[in-house]
Amino acid sequence: MGSLLGSQKSREIVFQALVLSVVAALLVAMVMNTRASLEAQSLTTGFGFLERSTGWDFSFSVLPYSISDTYSKTILIGILNTLLLGFLGIFLATLIGIAIGLIRTSKNVLFSFLGTVYVETFRNVPLILQALFWYAILTHLPRPRSALSLGDAVFLSGRGLYFPVFNIALWSVAVMLAIFIAWLFFLPWLREQMNHSSAYHSIKKIGWLMLPVIMILIGYYARIPDTPLLDMPALKGLNFKGGMRMPPELSALVIAIALYGGAYIGEVVRAGLMSVPKGQIEAAFVNGLKPIHIFSRIRLPLAIRAVLPSLTNQYVQLMKATTIGIVIGFSDLFMIISTSINQSGQTLELLAILMGSFLVINLSIAFVMNSINEKIAIKGYEVKS
Amino acid sequence: MTASTYQLPPQSSFSRKVKDNFFASPFDCLVTLACAVFFVAIFYYIIDWAFIASIWSSEDEPLCKEASGACWSVIDARHRIIFFGLFPFEEHWRSTLACVVMVATIVASCVPWFWSTLKLSALWIIGFGIFYFLMAGGVFGLTVITPERWGGLALTIFIFAAVSIIGMPLSIVLALGRRSKLPVIAMLFGLFIDFFRSLPLLTILFTAAVITPFLLPGWLQGDKLYRVIAGFAIFFACYQAENIRAGLQAIPPGQDEAGLTLGLTYMQRVTRIQLPQAFRNSLPAIVNQFVITFKETSIVTIVGFFEILASGSAAFGTGKWTVYYIEVYVFIGAIYFIFVFSLSRYGAYLERKLRVGHG
Amino acid sequence: MVDQIESVETEHSAVNSQVTPAVTMENVNKWFDDFHVLKDINLHVADGEKVVVCGPSGSGKSTLIRCICKLEDHQRGTINVLGTELNDNVANIDEIRREVGMVFQQFNLFPHMTVLENCTLALTLVRKKSRKEAEAIAMGFLEKVRIPEQSTKYPGELSGGQQQRVAIARSLCMNPKILLFDEPTSALDPEMISEVLDVMVALAEEGMTMVCVTHEMGFARRVADRVIFMDEGEIVEQNSPQAFFDNPTNERTRLFLSQILQH
Repeated sequence: MGSLLGSQKSREIVFQALVLSVVAALLVAMVMNTRASLEAQSLTTGFGFLERSTGWDFSFSVLPYSISDTYSKTILIGILNTLLLGFLGIFLATLIGIAIGLIRTSKNVLFSFLGTVYVETFRNVPLILQALFWYAILTHLPRPRSALSLGDAVFLSGRGLYFPVFNIALWSVAVMLAIFIAWLFFLPWLREQMNHSSAYHSIKKIGWLMLPVIMILIGYYARIPDTPLLDMPALKGLNFKGGMRMPPELSALVIAIALYGGAYIGEVVRAGLMSVPKGQIEAAFVNGLKPIHIFSRIRLPLAIRAVLPSLTNQYVQLMKATTIGIVIGFSDLFMIISTSINQSGQTLELLAILMGSFLVINLSIAFVMNSINEKIAIKGYEVKS
Repeated sequence: MTASTYQLPPQSSFSRKVKDNFFASPFDCLVTLACAVFFVAIFYYIIDWAFIASIWSSEDEPLCKEASGACWSVIDARHRIIFFGLFPFEEHWRSTLACVVMVATIVASCVPWFWSTLKLSALWIIGFGIFYFLMAGGVFGLTVITPERWGGLALTIFIFAAVSIIGMPLSIVLALGRRSKLPVIAMLFGLFIDFFRSLPLLTILFTAAVITPFLLPGWLQGDKLYRVIAGFAIFFACYQAENIRAGLQAIPPGQDEAGLTLGLTYMQRVTRIQLPQAFRNSLPAIVNQFVITFKETSIVTIVGFFEILASGSAAFGTGKWTVYYIEVYVFIGAIYFIFVFSLSRYGAYLERKLRVGHG
Repeated sequence: MVDQIESVETEHSAVNSQVTPAVTMENVNKWFDDFHVLKDINLHVADGEKVVVCGPSGSGKSTLIRCICKLEDHQRGTINVLGTELNDNVANIDEIRREVGMVFQQFNLFPHMTVLENCTLALTLVRKKSRKEAEAIAMGFLEKVRIPEQSTKYPGELSGGQQQRVAIARSLCMNPKILLFDEPTSALDPEMISEVLDVMVALAEEGMTMVCVTHEMGFARRVADRVIFMDEGEIVEQNSPQAFFDNPTNERTRLFLSQILQH
């Protein structure tokens, strides 16, 4: 024993082993305690409940749904809802953020002040409050009978936004998305293989032209038989039938996340634009490039590379922010899990599913962004600016 | 051979400055004009809605339906709920005083005179203690009021202060732990931090409120409020720990080596050399984390606390006030805006001041 | 001795009056806020002339040549480049920038583009050449600076000397009439300085008009038609290289030369 604690090294190892065992013991104790409490309340454990049907309904779903669907399907719908909300919000927030970033780096003082006002307004008020605000406004819109309409095809009312949608099978949309994403990853790989040659540029041009053609062909093939091309919403009785409905819960959240996220992303974009070394701009200037070219070929690409890590962080935060949907009744993953916990009592399992899902989503976002980061990273070990 | 001549620069005239910033090119003139029109229009509309055409007193509520402006009568009538929740009416002076004390504490923390570990800790312990006893009562003959009755802005401030006072020391411990030389310790701390950082705050609060009763034995249970504060504090500490860690990493390794050669112990090196420099390095991020936390206190409304958002919904939720949700939301938004904007402006001021001194 | 200097100066002015000056600066004054950085600068650079500017740091030599390509604005005086006056008129800026090239101390190559793309960017966007044409022109200049095999590499993968040579090729692609150099070798490790100087000497021998801020006195002796010494914002002395190095007339020039030729 004396020799075990003799050297510094062995003391450290013993100490760490001790700490590990204490932590392990704590975790085991928690699990056992949980088991005991659950048994005391005669609740079952295990994931068997996933095959039971839920027996309850909720407000929004991307997939067709009924009350008798199983818990596993319900949870899947929750995940899809969260992803849909997240992607819509992040996409719009990015667009707004780029615009705000550009506005704030403008030389016109009044114009950049406009951007500052926007950022301060939307950044300093909690997201929940903004969501509640937009939800209150959207639900106080006129009833379907007196809905606002755009060209008799798009209708906005207190019940939601109705718009026409193509009558094509759902799987084809997934296929189109997959093809598009695969193409985006294929291009940089091809550029490496073909060593930036002119042949690569020709292939790139042809590919971009062919892409919409392929999409249209897939859409045509996947048409639902015996239906018109477009499913138009029409007022029948008190409500609209047909078309796709975007409920005010979803719209309010998308608007809130887009505006709030846009303010944060705007700051990130502005930092990126300002971080481009002045020497690069000067070299481009002296080389004879026009201001628009200096911006699009030098400043913007370098800013994007500088901005990617911060952007990843923002995206992860925005995806996590979708959980506030419960406060206005949007059936995102969190709301579905908490309702499930209420209804089925399978607290620990559902919580594990919730945490696991968010871990997977966040890791995926980080993974995708890091891959993009690596692909476009500035090469070299001696980068002098 | 010419002697060095010193001439004064030509004064760039005010009109020249104006031209460069606002009217540099024809397109620029257009943009300036459009922005000016936009600003004036928005300003006019807001002033009109909020002040000119608005109704202020709660007795004048019937006039609200005709008026085109804001109906601040709802605030006049219901502001007590928004500020104090369900706190007993007679004791509102305690709640007000407590809020004032807490705000004073926060403001005092920003004054550099307080910036030593001893003074800051003393300040916050005293400030928070006064706040707690004013709200909870039980001493000096004040009636006892349990936390379930706390609400509104007072509850928001309480949660924020409690999370800060618990989370800040915890974040330092976590940051140091993650940088430990012992790989197992560093890994455990790292897992802990990464785990809590990857989850949405709501999940953690929800778990703390609903689940932990299962995980912990009976004697470790606390009031729901304290469980939620504990969870929130852990979340805050994990984020703050990363900010502190970034500050620690920015210190040149030579600093710690110098401390070693002088014979300083680990605690001395950490408290005298590393932490002061780490805080100076990442002060903007640290202040920013407080700002974010204040905004995030709004999330506790989902786990069933009657903080300011919930009390706001209650304020317009009954009777004749239901249509005046915009006024209430704007009012609450303004309260948040004042707090958050001041804190973040202060953070920007700190950043400028420190950068100048640091060089 | 004074007569010798005067005769050299009259020789220069005789040459100047026959050919259109490439650059003319008259009574140019510039301030950075309150700091008077250029004081009554009078300078004429003839077509095909090679001028070296030297002086202690802070003397304003970089600012001088940055004014010539309008990276900085001057508050008083006139600058004429290739017959066009530099002022706030937007239209003439584009033309000037195409005819005047600049090589920076920090190279300033675009890090996200290959060497070839760095050179062809302005050719395709500004001179509207097709990609094939631009690449041919660029490869020609890359061969001239003896670095054609690196055309598909990124700047970060090259050494400092290689990067600076690419920067010179990039400027040459636009076919400038004047080339400005702002301490082109100051950021290089010693063993790479000569490869860059060799390129600059070759350019000089082909007749390029050059204004070069540098501490490389050997280069100045070999290539310059005129050496200018600047101190505290003024041109203190200018002369042919022999007269300048062997017989500096001004006390400050002598002090400066004794400091840098000592090592």
